[in-house]
Amino acid sequence: MRRAFLAITGLAASTTALVVLKGSPGTSQVAQDLPAAQPVSPTPQGVDPSAAPDAGPAGTTPKSSVSAGAPSSPKPSRSTARPSGTRTTAKAPTAPRTTTKAPQPTTRRVTGPGVDNEYGYVQVQIVVSGNRIVEAVALSLPSGGESDIHSGDVRDRYNGTGGEVVQKQSANLNTVSGATETSNSYKQSLRGAIEQAF
Amino acid sequence: MTHSHTHAAGRRTGTTSRHGGRTAEPVPPQIPARRGPGGRRLLAALLLVGLLASVLPWWLGTPAGSLRTTAATVTAAGRITGLVAGYLLLVQVLMMSRLPVLERWIGGEQLGRWHRDVGATLLVAVLAHLSLILVGYADLRNHSVLAEVGTLLGDYEDMLSAFVATGIMMLVGFSSVRAIRRALPYELWHLLHRSSYLVLLLGFGHQFSHGAQLYKPGPVRTGWIALYLLVVAALLWGRVIAPLAFNLRHRLRVADVVAESPDTISIYLTGERLDRLEMLGGQHFRWRFLTRGCWWQSHPFSVSAAANGRWLRLTVKVVGAHTADLRDLDPGTRVWAQGPSGTFTAAHRLRDRALLIAGGSGITPIRAMLEELPPGAALIYRARTPADVLLSRELDWLAQARDTSIWYVIGSRDDPGPRQLMSPDGLLQLVPDMTHRDVYLCGPPGLVEQSVRALRRAGVPRRQIHLATFEL
Repeated sequence: MRRAFLAITGLAASTTALVVLKGSPGTSQVAQDLPAAQPVSPTPQGVDPSAAPDAGPAGTTPKSSVSAGAPSSPKPSRSTARPSGTRTTAKAPTAPRTTTKAPQPTTRRVTGPGVDNEYGYVQVQIVVSGNRIVEAVALSLPSGGESDIHSGDVRDRYNGTGGEVVQKQSANLNTVSGATETSNSYKQSLRGAIEQAF
Repeated sequence: MTHSHTHAAGRRTGTTSRHGGRTAEPVPPQIPARRGPGGRRLLAALLLVGLLASVLPWWLGTPAGSLRTTAATVTAAGRITGLVAGYLLLVQVLMMSRLPVLERWIGGEQLGRWHRDVGATLLVAVLAHLSLILVGYADLRNHSVLAEVGTLLGDYEDMLSAFVATGIMMLVGFSSVRAIRRALPYELWHLLHRSSYLVLLLGFGHQFSHGAQLYKPGPVRTGWIALYLLVVAALLWGRVIAPLAFNLRHRLRVADVVAESPDTISIYLTGERLDRLEMLGGQHFRWRFLTRGCWWQSHPFSVSAAANGRWLRLTVKVVGAHTADLRDLDPGTRVWAQGPSGTFTAAHRLRDRALLIAGGSGITPIRAMLEELPPGAALIYRARTPADVLLSRELDWLAQARDTSIWYVIGSRDDPGPRQLMSPDGLLQLVPDMTHRDVYLCGPPGLVEQSVRALRRAGVPRRQIHLATFEL
C-alpha cells in the first residue's frame, strides 16, 4: 500500500511536471526540443490522411520556415502554418490530381457557405469527381490560442483525400473531441457544399 | 493441556552417517539452480519503459508553449493521465494473465502485490483523467461541468461505454479495499473482479475515436492497438492455451485419498509423462476436481512432495465445504490443474542455507522444498497439539537424508514456551546464523506476521524472507 501511495504521488508530480514543461514557452530547453521533435510527430499524421504526393512539401516547408523565423513564439507555427499551407497549395494538388485522373473529366470544386461560431469562421470546399467526394479542404477555421489546436484536430480528421469526409461521403461526421462547435460548423458548411454539388 | 509445555518436543538432527536413513528415494531430487532477480528486474524495467513510451506521443505532439490557458493546461493533464491509465489497465490485465514467463520470473505472490499497487494507481489515474478532461472541456466551452457531461454523453461516440467502464472500475477498486473485501463473500468479489475484463472492452473505443494522440492513423495508433492485441494474446496463452496443453499432456487423475490426521487428507494424483513435469518443491497449482459438486471451483493448493516422475501429492486441511467434498473423491476422478506457479522454492534462495518456519498445514510446501534445499537447512514446525503435526515420519526421514535440523514447537500461541521461542532472541538462540539464511515462512496469517516481525527485529534482511501467500 505504501508503494501504491508513492506511485500515485509520482503520477501527480510527473503529470504536473510535464504540463509545466510544455506550458512554459520561454525556456531554452523546450525551444531546443521543439524543432527536433516537431517534424517527427506531425509529418506522419499529415502524410496519411491527406494526399500522399502533396502532403510532404505542403506540410513541411511552411512549418520549418515559421519555426526557424520565429523561435520566440514557436507555438502557433504548427497550426497557423498549416491552414496557410493548405490554402496556398490548394491549387497545387489540383494539377497532379487532374493529370492522374485524366480519364475522368468531371472534377469540380464546390465551396460551402461560411458559418460563424463563437470561436471564428468556418468554410469548407469539396472536390467532387463524378458522384464521389474525393477531397475536402477547410478554407477557413477558427484560429488563435486554443482554437489553433482544435482547428488542427478538426482539419487532420476531416480534410484531405483520405479524411473522414471522403470516407463517409456525407456530412454525417463524428464530432472531434474538444472541438464540438467547430465540428458542427464544419458539418454545416459541408452540408451546404454537398447540396450544391449533387 | 498436558502437552502445552512440551514446546520443544523433539529435536532431530541429521547425523553425518547416512546409514540410518531410508534409501527408498528412487531418483534423488537435485538441488535446482538459483534463479536470480535478473528476470524480474528486466520485466519491471520493460514495464517502466512502456509507461514512458505511452506518454511520449503526447510530448511529441504538443507544441511547446501551447498550454497558455488554464483550460488547455487542464485538458493536457487530462490527456496525460488518460494515456497513463490506458497503459496501466493493460499492465493490470497482463499481470493477471498467468503467462508462464511472468509466473516463472516474477511469481504469483509478487504479481499479486504489484497488481494491488498498480490497481490503486490506475483507479486514481482514471478518475483524474475523467475529471480533468471534464473540467478542461467545460472551461473551454464556458459550460458547467454537468452540461459538459451531457455533451460528452450525447455527442461523442463511445463515450457512454467509457463512462460505464469507469463505473465498473470504481466498483472493482472499492470492493478490493481490504476491509470491504473481507466483508464480501469470495464468490461475489471474484465475479466483480472478473467484470474488469468489461473495462478493457468498454474503454477501448473512446481511446481511438477521441484520444488526441490515437485517432489519427499512424504509428502511435498502430502501436497502441498492437499493445492491446499483445495483452489479449497473453491472456489467451496464459489462461487457455497453456493450461490446455498442460492437462492434455499430463491427464491427471486422482489415484488415492489418504487421511494424514483427523482433519487433513493427502490426495495422490497420477498422470502421463510426469517425468517431464517441470515443477519445483513449494510451488502450487490451481486445482479443479472434475466431479459434479466441485468442477466449478478452482483452489490453489501446494504440492506436498517434490517432483518424482511418478505421482503428485497435495495435502489439504479440511476447513470448508469444498475441502470436505475432497475427502470423498473417487480414484480415477479427472483433475484439471493450472500451474505450476510460485516463487516459494529452493530456486529463489539467495543464500546457501535456509531456515524454514511452518505453522500447521503450512508444512506442505516446505515438506516438498526440503527435498531440494542444500543440506544444512533448519526447520521450525509450529503446531497447536502433537496431533496437528503432519507428515512427521517423512520429516524425520528427510532430517536424516538431507542433514536438516527440525524443531517441533508445540503449544498454543500464548503459552510461554512458544512465545519465548518465536521471539527474536529465541529464534537467534535456535539458529545463531539466522541472518545469513533465507527464511521461508508458511502458515496461518497470525504466525506469519508475528514471525516476520521477529525476524526483522533479529536483523534478517527483508529480501531473504520468502512468504507463501495464495491470497491476492
